[in-house]
Amino acid sequence: MTILKHIKTAGLAAAFGLLAATMPAKAETTYNIASLADFTGPYADVMKDLIGARRPVIDWWNAEVGKKLGVKLGVKDYDHRYDAAQVASLWPGIKAELNPIIALGVGGPDVAALQGRLPSDKIPMVMSTAAYGFAWKPDPWIFNQRPTYSHEAASFFEWFRQKRGGAGPLKVAIISSEASPAYVDQHKGVQRYAADNPDKVEVVEVVFTEVQPTDLTTQVNRVTRKGAEVIMIMTNTAAVVATKRALQSLGKQVPIILSSHNGLAESGRAIGDLKQMEGDYEVYAMAAPTDAKTPGREFFDMLQSKYNLKAKWTVSAVQGLGQALIAMRAIEAAAKKVGPDKITGEAVREALISAPITPDDTFKILGTIKFSNDAPFPTQGMVASIATVKDGKYTEAAENVPVPTLNKW
Amino acid sequence: MIDFINYLINGALVGLLYALIAMGFVVIYRASKVFNFAQGELVVFGGFIVWWMVASLGLPLWVGLPLAFVAAAIFGLLVERVFFSRLAGESVFAMVMVTIGLLILIRGLILVLFGPQVRSFPIIFPLQPVIIGDILIPRSLLVGGVITVIVGFGLSWFFNRTRAGLRMTAVAEDHQVALSMGISVKRSIAFAWVLGAVLSTLGAIIFLSGKSLNFLASDIGLAALPVALLAGFEAIAGVLLAGLIVGIIQGLVTAYLDPIVGGAIGTVFPFIIMLVILFIRPTGMFGWKTIERV
Repeated sequence: MTILKHIKTAGLAAAFGLLAATMPAKAETTYNIASLADFTGPYADVMKDLIGARRPVIDWWNAEVGKKLGVKLGVKDYDHRYDAAQVASLWPGIKAELNPIIALGVGGPDVAALQGRLPSDKIPMVMSTAAYGFAWKPDPWIFNQRPTYSHEAASFFEWFRQKRGGAGPLKVAIISSEASPAYVDQHKGVQRYAADNPDKVEVVEVVFTEVQPTDLTTQVNRVTRKGAEVIMIMTNTAAVVATKRALQSLGKQVPIILSSHNGLAESGRAIGDLKQMEGDYEVYAMAAPTDAKTPGREFFDMLQSKYNLKAKWTVSAVQGLGQALIAMRAIEAAAKKVGPDKITGEAVREALISAPITPDDTFKILGTIKFSNDAPFPTQGMVASIATVKDGKYTEAAENVPVPTLNKW
Repeated sequence: MIDFINYLINGALVGLLYALIAMGFVVIYRASKVFNFAQGELVVFGGFIVWWMVASLGLPLWVGLPLAFVAAAIFGLLVERVFFSRLAGESVFAMVMVTIGLLILIRGLILVLFGPQVRSFPIIFPLQPVIIGDILIPRSLLVGGVITVIVGFGLSWFFNRTRAGLRMTAVAEDHQVALSMGISVKRSIAFAWVLGAVLSTLGAIIFLSGKSLNFLASDIGLAALPVALLAGFEAIAGVLLAGLIVGIIQGLVTAYLDPIVGGAIGTVFPFIIMLVILFIRPTGMFGWKTIERV
């Protein structure tokens, strides 16, 4: 009797197994993502890590999240050479070819070329960079994972001033350029911040240079004579190298504050040795790629071992990871809200605005991201990381530094 | 007052660097009547050759630099052989269009051969500036300025006093006339491209010593354009004076007007001067006046 019961149970299990094996898998709806890139323009050198990080995140999401939701994402890269005209010319073709539900952007040219068009195309875009003051408008369709460069710089200034001690404002010199609207925007925001907070920051001078400066010795000598305690350069590595050489030739040591796209590692490579960046800083509202075993690093390592991630653990890779994760979480939220087979660009934008993305959602690469209809970037609760070179080693100087509130400029 | 002298000297030295790059424009124009839009790219290519020889292969400067000049000369010859020798007799417009194609080609070549990474250019000249009292002169620009003056007068002597130079001057005057006098126009044009590439490499060494290198450095070609136009495309020694004028004005405007205006007017100003000069004297200050008799 007992044997018969066991045979029955085994038969039933086998029948269920067979049934399950012959049943069709859950149907997946495929959607596309347009991945804009600069493979041949001024930021081609950081693209390998940035783009290299995007795709494995999408592969991971497809395998571990999308499959359960019934959603599959395809992605295609387009080289726009960091040129707004090229972006504008490529976009109609991208739209016709992919009909994307979201686009991943690179920088200022994407914003300049598409911010007027995306609302009518109903396709949102997520950027890897910090935001721009000129795009700080309500009802955005372009979203930045970080506040503006000026916000990030201001968070550094407040931290550095506190570290310095004393009562007077921090004297800041800015090396900028009119080669890109984004560069001008960076110093305009800091100037506005300094004007609103004269007790905290004083901009001693904005020096304008070419994208590849010939020589900055005279200009750097002038700003150091004016008492600059920090030099802000958020344009490119060529300006950093020229400023550093000027400081070295003058025998002066004034810390330079950099951003993500021209950070310590990139500038160190451009000048020949990271050790030459000793005492300089970089700031951005995302995790710094140090050697510490953070959740972000563990996620990166997992992508390397399982999803063929080829990028190195750099600031650019962190940017790419954060950007892709925001896009994935928004698509995820949209799928849950409207159903996996009804996702549109509009639904993804709605999800970006209505569903906050927690630090856990991005493996603590980013802080809490809460977009709104007021601005293309989170205006509250943002925190920044500050990294430096100490004893020749890249290290985190501070984390969770509050990003101050800035008035529009 | 000291600041003024500093800006004056620095402006003059930067202007001489522009003059050196502008000589590349002039040498090629004299022989082929072609305005080379890819001059900035020749500077970058020369820079990458130097980087490859000295930083990548690790050759000592005294070996790497001469080899880089030889490689640049071969590249210049190759450009002429592949593209321009086939265009002999074609319209100048066609040749100018080829230089635009060359610009794109060289950018692509640099990306393929050397990659998109920003490279650290070797320190050819010591970083320490020359300090005289309160006057501070960047050493690379000072040495570069001296080299530029020597090269400028040397080339002027070559074009006006030597048989080979005079042959090239005849080619610059008129290809048909030069041919009728038994002068090889093709050889002159080839030599001009070789010289243009070598001058560009020399410019890259002075411009980039101790700095970073990627193809953005080609913008120096654009900065040197007002110098070549101001001097006139046929005047080698005139380029030196035009360089000094443009550099000093740019230096002073950058120092005194930029902070008032709150923008980079110093970068734009040389082009304003260039337009004014072209309006008054289209051939530039020392350019040849052509009288056509019908």
